[in-house]
Amino acid sequence: MAERIGGAEAVIDLKPGSSIPISYHPSFGPHDDLLLLEADDTLVSDIFSQRVTLRGLPDEDAVLCTKSKTFAIKFVGNSNSMFLIPPSSSDDDTNINNRQLVSVLKISPGNMELVEVSPRLDKLKQLLLANPFGAAEVDAMMDDNDDDNNEKKGVKLYTWTDLVNTVQASDEELSVGLQSLSAVEIDGYWRVIDENYLDVILRMLLHNCVLNYWSFDDLDEDEVVSALVADEFPSKLASHCLRVFASRVNSSGTGKWKLEPRLVCLHFARLVLRDEKMRLESFMEEWKKKIPDGMEGRFEMLEGEVLTETIGIETRVYTFSVRSLPSTPAERFSILFKHRSKWEWKDLEPYLRDLHVPRLSMEGLLLKYTRRAQPKADAPPVFSAR
Amino acid sequence: MEIRVKCRCGEDECSEWAIVELQGVVETQASFEGSIQNLEIGRLCHTESSQETYTFTVGYHELIGSKVTLKKPLLVLKKLQLDDEVSGKTTELEVVGIIRTKILFKTRPKPLISGTN
Repeated sequence: MAERIGGAEAVIDLKPGSSIPISYHPSFGPHDDLLLLEADDTLVSDIFSQRVTLRGLPDEDAVLCTKSKTFAIKFVGNSNSMFLIPPSSSDDDTNINNRQLVSVLKISPGNMELVEVSPRLDKLKQLLLANPFGAAEVDAMMDDNDDDNNEKKGVKLYTWTDLVNTVQASDEELSVGLQSLSAVEIDGYWRVIDENYLDVILRMLLHNCVLNYWSFDDLDEDEVVSALVADEFPSKLASHCLRVFASRVNSSGTGKWKLEPRLVCLHFARLVLRDEKMRLESFMEEWKKKIPDGMEGRFEMLEGEVLTETIGIETRVYTFSVRSLPSTPAERFSILFKHRSKWEWKDLEPYLRDLHVPRLSMEGLLLKYTRRAQPKADAPPVFSAR
Repeated sequence: MEIRVKCRCGEDECSEWAIVELQGVVETQASFEGSIQNLEIGRLCHTESSQETYTFTVGYHELIGSKVTLKKPLLVLKKLQLDDEVSGKTTELEVVGIIRTKILFKTRPKPLISGTN
């Protein structure tokens, strides 16, 4: 009796006691353009909602991105013979004499698997820090005749779309990355603001606080922006200054902000230190001079941003910011141990806090990348390179 | 570069493909000349028993296996290389099918003494 049903359906629905012949498809061949991707149910529904993309430059290994996660793609070979059988098709050559056949289109060598990875945000840092937005550009911005200033100089700037096409990260991870760099979108391009220029805006903001008797804990965004615009700062950068150094007072959108002492004091600490190593006492003196009245600068605010070294009786302090370190664990630990071969946990922890690696806890990270030693039972443990 | 993984159908309408998997390699007889397209490989049977067993008979070998539900489904993707006047050479990926189960033959082939079934 001729079987009426063929294709994959015939295999899937094959009833007990029945049998069907399986043949090579009329188009049997390598079909290298057909790939198998292992996907869990979450990914399957993301894919069917058109929310999944492959991202990367031609010379990179592509990553697969959902809205919030990034995955490396691995090919896993299978030494078994996997006969791939497509569903029956009405206009198929398999329909011979009205009897549809079960046909093998290809023997698959294996399938692709996904492994969740950290987004590659170091590239984002690199791209944006290459051209920080500074005072010179502000002048150009204010001068309407100079619209294509950057293009003329051959400076490469990045729109959101450019970043999506260049950085291997999901949309959400890319947004978080931009936020952690305090980046701001100016004329469609994502920019980081030059620290010196940011300093000028901050000082003007603080100056206005004093002039207008504004409380640091209750700044009104509109008032702040108006005052800074009157002082010839672009309104976008005035708002941005609040986002960098302050946090919203309750999220109901009342436009109220409170300055974060840690962020303001850190800014001034970095300005005092620059690229030097200063005696701790001198640093504290200079730092306190710069901190606005009404704020207190405590050394603990600078963890993960400065380090001290004691040589003899003298202690020196210098800038060493976690934000300048690579975001991938292997590179991060390498730089940390090159800088200093042994670390106590209290000094090391602030430089590891922001590391998020899928499937690896802090303990796991330490086990993988460090060697732990405890010279004396009552002394704190010391970490060095593995 | 960003390549969106496209699909023309929703999850429920996505056509289901099948996999029959066996250890080893199926070969055509040395004396066979010509293309293997359309050639019959063997016969798949779902045995009439209380267990979910299948047999696959290839030549005079009989394999015994079972239907396995994949822990994670496999999506069948088709890679398309297009040449666009506007955007140049682009690659597209489209979901053309999904595989949720496979018939897996793990045993060594049992030679059939008599040639008839």
